Amino acid sequence: MRLAALDGHGHRAGLRVEQTLSDARALFPDLDVFDHDPRADAALLEAVAAWCDRYTPLVAVEELSDDVAGQCAGLFLDISGCAHLFGGEEAMRDDLVARLRAAGLLAHAAIADTPGAAWAFARYGTGGVIAPGEQATMPLDLPLAGLRLETELLDMLRKLGLRTVGCIASLPRAPLAARFGNGLLLRLDQALGRQEEAISPRLPVPELSSERVFAEPIAMQDDIERTAAQLAANLKPRLDERQLGARALELKLFRVDGHVVTISVRAASPVYQPERIVMLFRERIAGFHEDLDAGFGFDLVRLNVTGSEARPVEQADLGRGGEGGGEGGGEVFVNLVDKLGARLGTDRVQRFAAADTHIPERSFGLLAQAAGGGDAPSFLPAVGDTPPDSETTVAVLTRPIVLFERPEQVEAVAEVPDGAPIRFRWRRTLYRIVRSEGPERIACEWWRDGRGGHSRDYFRVEDEEGHRFWIFRQGLFERETHHPKWFMHGLFA
Amino acid sequence: MQGSHVRQKMEALQDAVSRIDRRHAAFSRHARLRGQETGGAVAFGVDTVDAVFKDGFPVFALHEVRCALTRDIAAASAFLAGLIAGCMKHRTGRIVWVCDPACRPDGGQLFPAGLAMFGIDPSRLLMVRPLDFKTALWASDEAAKCGELAAVVFQIRGNQPGFDMTATRRLMLKAQQNGLFVCILRQGGDEEANAAATRWRVSAAPSAADPQLENGIGLVRLGLVLERNRNGQTGQWTIQWNHNRHGFEHVPADHVDRPAEAFHRPGGAPQMGQVMAFERAS
Repeated sequence: MRLAALDGHGHRAGLRVEQTLSDARALFPDLDVFDHDPRADAALLEAVAAWCDRYTPLVAVEELSDDVAGQCAGLFLDISGCAHLFGGEEAMRDDLVARLRAAGLLAHAAIADTPGAAWAFARYGTGGVIAPGEQATMPLDLPLAGLRLETELLDMLRKLGLRTVGCIASLPRAPLAARFGNGLLLRLDQALGRQEEAISPRLPVPELSSERVFAEPIAMQDDIERTAAQLAANLKPRLDERQLGARALELKLFRVDGHVVTISVRAASPVYQPERIVMLFRERIAGFHEDLDAGFGFDLVRLNVTGSEARPVEQADLGRGGEGGGEGGGEVFVNLVDKLGARLGTDRVQRFAAADTHIPERSFGLLAQAAGGGDAPSFLPAVGDTPPDSETTVAVLTRPIVLFERPEQVEAVAEVPDGAPIRFRWRRTLYRIVRSEGPERIACEWWRDGRGGHSRDYFRVEDEEGHRFWIFRQGLFERETHHPKWFMHGLFA
Repeated sequence: MQGSHVRQKMEALQDAVSRIDRRHAAFSRHARLRGQETGGAVAFGVDTVDAVFKDGFPVFALHEVRCALTRDIAAASAFLAGLIAGCMKHRTGRIVWVCDPACRPDGGQLFPAGLAMFGIDPSRLLMVRPLDFKTALWASDEAAKCGELAAVVFQIRGNQPGFDMTATRRLMLKAQQNGLFVCILRQGGDEEANAAATRWRVSAAPSAADPQLENGIGLVRLGLVLERNRNGQTGQWTIQWNHNRHGFEHVPADHVDRPAEAFHRPGGAPQMGQVMAFERAS
């Protein structure tokens, strides 16, 4: 067992990371040791990253390969254009470090022109702000470990007596690349600002965003709603300007203790009116019941538009007087869909969509109404097949009105193995079949289920009491199987 | 200076237009509620059934359709679908179908192709699948507020605590105020007192003979018991779905294709007037 990380006292006492536990215990018998839990570390870092959203929307969690010597992952914040909101870079850095310290976390932060330089200064330098001009010279004094090099490479360089960045920066490049590979030069260039490096933010940047900071944290639901309304009103001119409506929104509530609550909602149609936006959040918060834990209150509330769509052109229709009721459903209907979707989740408010297959359970799907995508194709043609005035033909119902998603196996007895059943037992009740029609054969979809799939022979059967069932035999007798199974798949009216 | 003047004028005009719009909307709603569609005089479609409603079938109210056994849920759903298609011929709005999650394991789910056969285009349906009964009730309450819809169906399983007189009365009021057909579809369970204007019990009945096929299934027949009727008598009929006409029709009692004992089911229709419904204590 080895030490994975140390606190300040450990460092000062002369312990090292990677030291064996028995060595450490030999030095300090009363050493407190905890199991290394990388997942908990990652979760904490993720939480801190979420909290850092208050400074900039571009926060990246560093993806550190295990080979990089003795370091754990950190965060990159792209603060281009954000620093002035916090009174300059120095003030912003101090604010961040101070707030994290108040939360009990020891943070090292450095601001530089490139992620590589900032990384090096935060971990091996003094931190602070590196002025733009000093980019090319400042890192030269740092140890080589500041270049994010792999352990193996670092050891090799150390053996050659190369200890600082300056040592390799002054060497000719070509032999260096030939000897140690391109990775070393790439890291060097990234640190010195000769090479661009992009960070990958953990969240997509919202299209529009509006926020409000509170000196006195808010906790009441009414206050949150009122704030959301103000933020939505702030966003409206921006949306108007672009003729956009929001389809997806999120409200971020930054709790005083660093926890961030994110409430995401989706709208069934592009929304831009503040009252409709607030309605979405109100239903969503109401759906939380007690789960929205305000703690000591929220000191920053931000409303993001994460998805938008062109707004349909509107015109006041004098003839209809705004009283929809048409095919697509008017505004009232859309409001209802929004409201239900906000409280229950948009995937629980669904519409039927037809699919091009004969397998009954696959022939339709339930799509979220809010997902849009036009009206589903009509299921009606089945009815239109029979001319309405033909009294001579008795049109039968060919499809059940209730379908079981998963066909339920039944014990059925048929007169002949490939014939219609004469009685069957379903859910512990015996049904005697008086009438039956069939079979209607539906072959399996070999392109989905593989070649071994069995065909289904569907029978419409009616028992003595008049219950009509849709049952099928899976597998053609003798051709596909010798012991076909029977399944109940639906109920006719 | 001039810009602000123009803007003020524009705002005043917009205000005026929206005021007119609102008045017009209120007027048209009022007219619709009083119109022939609603006037309380919508024909049920089956003469013998219509006869028990003195003032016509009250479409814009809360109703209940139930089946005693889960296996009859298809019959009940089909009756309800036919009822909506029949009563709502002139309303093309959407139908909200709120389904309590407890219904799903036993009762399966609606099959759009089968629903289409009872005259309802499945693409008109908005299926709402809440998390529990409480949110299901909330969702149907919300839907009943939306006068633009054609109908709201609230499918529940058995007798649910909390679905009492107060809750149903609220649904009833909303149905009446907003001009909506709201229906409880109760899957299994017992009859219970609520504010619904009518309560129907539906069961499957042996189908008509198929003239073309010796052993075939002919026109679908349903046993219908009107257990409760606030403004009129109750009754008991056998009806069949006429697929060509897209409507129900009455099957005369002597028009039985099968020996009579088939109709004798144990635990069938209870005698009328024996069951007393008290308000539930819980």
